This record gives sequence, C-alpha cells and structure tokens, in this order.
Amino acid sequence: MPDSGYPWPIETTRLDNGLRVVVSEDRTAPAVAVNLWYDVGSRHEPAGQTGFAHLFEHLMFEGSLNVAKTEHMKLIQGAGGSLNATTNPDRTNYFETVPAEQLELALWLEADRMGGLVPALTQETLDNQRDVVKNERRQRYENVPYGDAWLRLLPLLYPPGHPYHHATIGSMADLNAADLATFQEFHARYYAPNNAVLTVVGDASAAEVFALAEKYFGAIPARADIPAAPDGRDVATTGRAAVETVTADVPAPRVYVAHRTHPFGTPGYDVTTVLAAVLGSGRGSRLYQRLADGERIAQPDTVGAYGVDLAHAPAPLIVTATARPGVTAERLAAGVAEVVDELATVPVTHAELDRAKALLSTAWWRQMSTVDGRADTLGRYATQFGDPAKAAERLPAWLTVTAEQIAETAAEVLGAADRVTLTYVPEEKPS
Amino acid sequence: MTLIAARPGTGVARPYRFPTVVRRDVAGGRVVAAHLPGQNLAVAVLLLDAGAGREPVGKEGLAGVLAKALEEGTAQRDATAFALAVEGLGTELVTGMDWDSFQVSVQVPVERLGAAVELLAEAVRTPRLEPEDVRRVRDDEANALRMDWANPGPRADAVLRADLFGHDNRWGRPMYGDPESVAALDVEDVTVFHSEWFIRPGTLVVAGDLDRLDLDALGAAAFAGTGGGPADRGGPIDVSPRPGRRIILVDRPGSVQSTLRLGHPSPHRAHPDHVPMTLAGTVLGGAFTSRLNHLIREVRGYTYGIRGDFASSRRFGRFAVASGVQTAVTAPALVEAVGEITRTQLTGVTEDELAVARSWRAGQLSVELQSPRAIASALTTLVVHDLPDDYHARLRESLLAADVAQVSAAAAAHLHPEALTLVVEGDAALIRDDLVATGLGEVTDHQV
Repeated sequence: MPDSGYPWPIETTRLDNGLRVVVSEDRTAPAVAVNLWYDVGSRHEPAGQTGFAHLFEHLMFEGSLNVAKTEHMKLIQGAGGSLNATTNPDRTNYFETVPAEQLELALWLEADRMGGLVPALTQETLDNQRDVVKNERRQRYENVPYGDAWLRLLPLLYPPGHPYHHATIGSMADLNAADLATFQEFHARYYAPNNAVLTVVGDASAAEVFALAEKYFGAIPARADIPAAPDGRDVATTGRAAVETVTADVPAPRVYVAHRTHPFGTPGYDVTTVLAAVLGSGRGSRLYQRLADGERIAQPDTVGAYGVDLAHAPAPLIVTATARPGVTAERLAAGVAEVVDELATVPVTHAELDRAKALLSTAWWRQMSTVDGRADTLGRYATQFGDPAKAAERLPAWLTVTAEQIAETAAEVLGAADRVTLTYVPEEKPS
Repeated sequence: MTLIAARPGTGVARPYRFPTVVRRDVAGGRVVAAHLPGQNLAVAVLLLDAGAGREPVGKEGLAGVLAKALEEGTAQRDATAFALAVEGLGTELVTGMDWDSFQVSVQVPVERLGAAVELLAEAVRTPRLEPEDVRRVRDDEANALRMDWANPGPRADAVLRADLFGHDNRWGRPMYGDPESVAALDVEDVTVFHSEWFIRPGTLVVAGDLDRLDLDALGAAAFAGTGGGPADRGGPIDVSPRPGRRIILVDRPGSVQSTLRLGHPSPHRAHPDHVPMTLAGTVLGGAFTSRLNHLIREVRGYTYGIRGDFASSRRFGRFAVASGVQTAVTAPALVEAVGEITRTQLTGVTEDELAVARSWRAGQLSVELQSPRAIASALTTLVVHDLPDDYHARLRESLLAADVAQVSAAAAAHLHPEALTLVVEGDAALIRDDLVATGLGEVTDHQV
C-alpha cells in the first residue's frame, strides 16, 4: 500500500490579502498548470437566483479592466494553452495549462479578472452569455433523453432551502430575470483573494510563483464580510422513500436510485467511494454481475454507481440502470433495489474489495498523471480542508476500507426509508 | 487598488521533447514504445488492422460487436472470471476503433502491465465466441445504438456521411453502424471477422517507464499464437465534392434545438496540405476563438458551441461543422455559418488569427501530451500513418512555419461552400419554411 497519494513536493504561502498560493514543482515537461478555486458555487445562491454562479463563470471570460472582450481565450490559446472553468454546487474553478514560459501571462489574466472584472461587465455581455447558458441548458438537459435526471434528483434528495436543493444550471425563469447589478455585486462579494486558492503545478519553482503571485494579485484588496452559504450538514429526513416517475420521450425504461451519504472528505465518504466501486464500477461489479449478466434485465453499458464528490453536506450516491427490451421499469427498479439492499446483508468478499481498490488506485493515478489533474486536486484540498497536503491521504484512506465498514455504511445510509427512486418510462407513441 | 495593466511578455521557452521512441520486432510482431521515466502509470495498446474500413458493406458494426464479445469468456476462463482478473489489476479492457484501426488497451500501475497485457492478449487471441453469447452481445449492441440514436446527432451524422460518400460504400455508412445493421449480424460474421483480422500480430504500443518494463516479454505475450502478415491497406479513395449546395431536413418533432451538420469531402491524411489545411480549419472552427464560435456563440448567442474541422483517415477525409442551435434561430445560424465558410474560402485568414492558431496547435503538443494515455495515442498515430519517430518535433516546426499565404491557399483549395451538404435535425414543422426561405439550397426531407 502506498504511504502517499501525492509523492511530489507541495509548498504554500498566503499573501497579505488572504490569497492562498500552492505550488508543486515538477520539471518533467515544459508545461505548467494554473488553477483557481473560488469558494463559491450554486449552494450560495438564494431563491430566485438559481444558475447565477454558473452564468457568472461565463462572464469571467468576457474581458476585464486590462483585457478586452474575448481576449482571454485568444491570449491563452495563442500561447499554446488549454483552458476552461466549471461550476458545481460547492465551488467555481478556473484553469489553464500553458507552456512554462507563459506562466506570467496566465497569472496576469487571472489577477485581472479577480480584481478588475466589474468595470468591464456590460449589459450586452450579460445578455449574450445569458443566451449562451440557456443554450447550454437546452443542449445538456432539455434536448436529450433522461437529460433532466440530475435536475429532478436534487430536489428529491435535498429539501427546499437546502444549498444542494437546486441544480447549478439554474432555472430559465431565474436566468431571464438576472440583472447586471446583481452580477456586479456577486463579483464584489465572492471573487476576493481571501476566498480563493491559486495553485500552480509543473515547470516552475515555488519561489518564482510566490513572487509572481505577489506581483499580480498582491494589490487586490481582501473582502472582510464574505457571506457563508446556508449550512446543509444536517438534512432532515422524512422517513419516507421519495418516488418519482417520469413519462417521457425516452428509448427505454431507466431507474435512478439515490441516497444521501456523507460529505466528501469524511471517513464515511471514503467508505461510500469504495462501496460505489464494488456496486457499480466495471463488469465485475455487483450491478453488472446481477442485472446485466445474471438476470439480464439491464443493458450492460448502462449500469453504474458513483458518488458525487460534494463536501458541504451529505453527498449523493447515484445508482442507475436501463432496462433491456421487454423488461418493465418496475422489475428493473426492484432488481436495483435488491442489489443495493444486499450491500448491508451480503458481505463484500476479499476479491470484490481488492477489485474495487485496484480500480480506484488506477483512477487516482490517472488524475495525478497530468499537471492540470494535480493542480485541481491540490486546489480542492486547500479550499475545502485548509491544507493541500491532505490530498495525499485520500488514496491510502480508500485502501484501508474494510468489508465490515461497507456493510455498516450501507446499513446506515442506504436504507429503504431514505431512498430516492426516479424512474423514466417511455411514452406511448401513436404508430 | 492597482492591477498591473501591461500584459507580461513571454519567458524563456524550454524546448519540448517527445519521449524517446523505441521500435522493436518481437515474436513476429512489432513493439513501439515511449519512455516516460518516473511515471507510475503505464498504458499498452494492441493495434490491429481491423477498423471499420475492414467491415464488408452491410456488416457495419461488426468490429464493435466483436469488441464486446471478446470479454464474454476466453479459452482459459469464463466472462466473470475474466472480468475479475482484469479489474483485479485495476484496469478494464478499453476497446476503440476508427476507420483505420482497431485498438484494445489497458492502463495500470507500471508493475502490473505485464499481467494486464497477458489478459488483453488472451481476450483478443482466444475468445470463446460461444454462439449464444455472440447473439446476446449483438442484441445488446443494437440496443446500445438505439439508445444512442435517440439522442440528437447520430441520425444527422449518418445522413451527412451518406450524402458525402454514398450509401453504397462502407465509408458512406456510420463508422459504428446503426441499430439495424448491428441487429442483422449473425454469429458467423463475427467469428469470420475474428479469424480474418484478430489473429494477425499487429502492433503493441507501450507508454510508460521503460526502466521498469520488459518490452520483449510484453511483445511475446501480445503476439503469442499469431500468424499471417499485414494485408494490403488500399490507397486513397477519390471523392470529389459534388456541386450544388443542398439542405437535408431530418425531423425531430418537439426538439428545442436544431442539430446542424454541415460538410463536404476533403483530402486523406497523407495529403501534402495536411498542416495548412489543419490550420485553416482551426481559424474557421477548430478553437473557442475561431470565426464560427465567435460569431454564432459569442456575438449572436445562438448556441452553446459550434465547431468545424478537417478530419482525415488513410483513405479519405471530410470537412464538417457541428452545432446545436436554438430552434427559432435555425435559419439565421445556418446562413451565418455558411457565410463564414464562404468568407474563409474566398479571403483566407489573417496573420492575427493564424498566429493564435499556429501557436495553439504547436503549444498543445507540449500541453496535451502528458499522460501515458495521450502519449500512447500519439504513438498510435505514428504507427497507423507510417510516420517517423521525430514526427511530433517536425509537426511543431511546420505548424510554426506555416504562413498566411499557405494557409489561405489551403482554405481556397479545400473549402467548398458551394458544394456543402447542410443537414438539419430538428422540428421540421417549425423550421422548414425558414430553411426554404434562406435560399441556401434545395430542401429535401430525409426519408426514414
């Protein structure tokens, strides 16, 4: 068993304005990954403003004080780099990987939009990116079969008012109502250096990065009163299973079974991660063996189970399967429920456990095999757990999970009374 | 607050070096490897000349069914035992194919690569292919395609391909087949395809820390029990763009977006214009900052994204643009997209745009070629297209050396806006009249 999941150096500092800077030097390739985690996500959005954190992420690419509209993308791509950003319930991350000689350019661009976005934000930009995001919603959620499953699962898992109750993409109505002042205020409130972690991994030294961080970010003022998101750690359970059935234009019945487990980063979630791999990763998983192979009621490529790595409330475990022709949604749902229930009653074997851990080990090292994968991981641990070096503990923690712990966790969090079941049934079409 | 207004200059560049390539003949096959010192993860890819181009017309999807059937048990163990053995090493068999090749790969911590390659070879060379299993896998694959074809895109892609290359040709039909072609396959199709193409040795591509790997042992495992030499791979196929732009409407009632697929044939991979053509495609549609995405997404707000590129295999190529646009703006989006293609063909590219495109493409070589998987994929390119070890270094140089005249000439020669096929998959009742009114070309309805 490896002692560490992160065998590279990590150095950190904090600027006077509160910006945390994390550096992990690796001279293997002449490339460097720059990554910013802002501790703001859709969990911070009040009612009526769903989708704002994500729409804001789009606005961050549309110019700032010293960077013209569309220039950000052009400069990074013109430097040979790759870039993107994502928003989830917990946080918003921005990242680029560039040839090492372009490190300073990347830092300048990130500093300019952290400290100077508001003066460049126009109604025209907001209107354009609102349209883009609405198109994103259509493309990813509305125009594809089962595309809205995540939008439906969240409110079934988390009650109204809970920070994970609504999906990050937001509602069309709220997006339509978004006004410019709200976004200017959003930036002022959350895009402060003391609400962010800057991580640089690759062909650069810590001393060099710390000096550049001071040069470009050092003058951006801290914000004293950044409001916290609502606390979601305790989720009131109803004691009743939640069941929703959707009749839609889908090619086959599909079942999602979901549970609230433990927050990402806790021992309970480590157990959940291994449990999910036993249950749903690969052809040797219980779901595949029982439903796709054994009873042959599920389509082989459609069975799976995974935890959604959210840290601020009990994170969801999602289990899914799609019916083979002639199999009803009810039969499939019963089959999935049975396999999930057995996690508490049928002990996980050594072979099952070793298989799950081997797959998780490979997945971990795959994430670590690129500088951008490492940078995002360090940014996560610095933001969510206050110390990037804690990243090294995750893989060893997975590898110490026992069969008994899986059974205990299954009994604790996968009970039928806490279960969410979402079923899609094909609508009958006139022939 | 003082932000620094002046954009910083570029630092001193450290040269990018593609890893050292090792080529070795072992046990009747060829091993091509890249040395990644210190890397804990390793990848092996068995490359076979068994891509979609080898499937007979009418048997589309055969290689995909065989790929899945490989894991239904081998001469030595049943399907479950095989899955547990492979996944116990921390990997899965990943199969993939394109027009030119069929690939099976494993990715594991470096010390397990030998065991993983032995299992890979066991599945590829000695699958059981029990008739009952093959039939079930075929039915599952047909279902999986039905699921996929319920999404917007696959039907439009198929319609475009058939219009460009002709439905009578294998390359005029979908690379992975369609639900009907897969459902019609029989057991013998699969066993014959296996004996014809999966017993030849092929090439084993390895990316990892070669100080901790034994290439001879890996090759011996991969090529054990193989026979038969390489088969003739055929020359480039002459496909000329067909004059007369046309719109083909694929009905998708209730769709909130229209799926656009625009294209025409283009040169094969070994064409001497490959680099300037790639750059012309990049300026037009290959990057976020490209002309199409700038206009259709960033200025108009019609879409979440639009991309266009030249893609090529050994024998043929195509230029294509893909997007999903809001239903109500289908016609203007189409008009503007065709407008940008036409403008690029007529007036070429500017130095500003080309500067971004060439340094992006060149920089991507150092930025993206990091993981063992990415390096293995680059090695695969060398093998499939008969390219030399220093290909990536030379590619970088030729990208950086391409000038406006060359790239504009490639755009002029290889873009054919008047010969475009414009496939629109959307709510026909809502968009047909608008499409006719664009005057872009005759509108026909795709007959299911």
